Amino acid sequence: MTIDIAFIFEALIEISKVLPLTLFMAVTPVLLGIFIGIIVAFVRIQQTKILAPLLNFYVSFFRGTPIIMHIMLVYFGIPIVVDVISITFKLEFQSSSIPILLFVILALTLSAGAYTSEIIRSGILSVPKGQLEAAYAVGLTFSQAMRRYILPQAFSKSIPNFTNVLIGFLHATSLAFFLSVKELTGVANIVASINLKFLEAFIAVGLIYWGVSAIIEWLAHRIEKRVTAYSKGGI
Amino acid sequence: MANDFDFTLIAKVLPILLQYLPVTLEILVFATFFGMLLGIVIAIPKLLHIPVLKHIITIYISFIRGTPVLVQLFLVFYGIPALLKLVHIDVTRMDAMYFVIITYTLSNSASFAEIFRAAILTVDRGQMEAAYSVGLSGIQAFLRIVLPQAIRVAFPNMANTMISSLKDTSLAFSIGVMDMVGRGETLIASTTRALEIYLALSIVYYVIVMLLEKGLKLNERYLNRYMPKEATSS
Repeated sequence: MTIDIAFIFEALIEISKVLPLTLFMAVTPVLLGIFIGIIVAFVRIQQTKILAPLLNFYVSFFRGTPIIMHIMLVYFGIPIVVDVISITFKLEFQSSSIPILLFVILALTLSAGAYTSEIIRSGILSVPKGQLEAAYAVGLTFSQAMRRYILPQAFSKSIPNFTNVLIGFLHATSLAFFLSVKELTGVANIVASINLKFLEAFIAVGLIYWGVSAIIEWLAHRIEKRVTAYSKGGI
Repeated sequence: MANDFDFTLIAKVLPILLQYLPVTLEILVFATFFGMLLGIVIAIPKLLHIPVLKHIITIYISFIRGTPVLVQLFLVFYGIPALLKLVHIDVTRMDAMYFVIITYTLSNSASFAEIFRAAILTVDRGQMEAAYSVGLSGIQAFLRIVLPQAIRVAFPNMANTMISSLKDTSLAFSIGVMDMVGRGETLIASTTRALEIYLALSIVYYVIVMLLEKGLKLNERYLNRYMPKEATSS
């Protein structure tokens, strides 16, 4: 078997058609995950009773198990819950009508929530306590201080970590292939199976992931430079 | 489809899955060991600024970090036989285990190389100069002065890489390795109870990740035993 270079280009074009779907599958969970992450991080920092130990377990479980397990657990677990609810309330809704994509996004969101909450927590804890005290001293409330002083600093410090998470979840979308979602890896497998050229198709999809990851990294680097401009030093 | 969730099934399949835990750990141990070796080898050209080699390695690292492990698995699985066919070696019947170990070695080596490089750069240049001034040779100074300090810095990141590598081994089944997840898939086929078996698998993974994390934390504390208290508290 020799490598068919021309087919790599062909596959590249064919596979990159589903790039928007893959990006959607990667970006949505991370954005939703940031919301979950902020809430979880606050509860854990404040050490709220009952809720904090529960969320500790949530974070450690999702960080301690492979993402493919989250996808499978959501895919096989949620339909059972939905069916039970729909039978008890006599709804006309059936779990089989939920698109697979939704399960994947839900699973990735839960997973992203756990990862981002750790990032946000360490980001918030990295802001010196004096900042909060200074904000109190000029008469701000807790939520004002958080929104205007602490969180912006925490987020700007966490940009490299968020980039890693975004790239990590871009790569995690490849796991949706096991549920035969037509994202990059899934389409690559289809293209490969139709033409019986597996190596070429996977080289093509590898190049796409690589390119997208490189672009995300470059963008993040530019954003980071701009956002952290205030702490550059000098006058 | 009957949807009654069966807790006893989880208890029933756990021992069966645990029989395949050694396979998962075997992948982890080999991939970490060879990954570290390869990581050291590819960190050297970047540290010594060897012209062309440095750029090739930068591209290699960026490719490995820019692609999902799943795609890397497929690339190795289809790519290595194709490459070896050029020199007339037929490996298409080789055990899939080797492909898995090769993939995770490559994937770990990129992370380890970056970790080692960053760690060695954190050691102050003055340390090397001080070592020279008391008459150590270059290799002695590196092995006795710089490396122990670099390992201390690198260890938490190495531990993270090992843990994510352990979680990545869950994909080995996709090219046909009979590890825990692979056995789980066959159990699903025979029992048709996917949720319970994935839950059992998650429990096993969670427990071994937690144990590994605890072990690595202890080791980290051991490496930090000479550090003043403030520095180790973080």
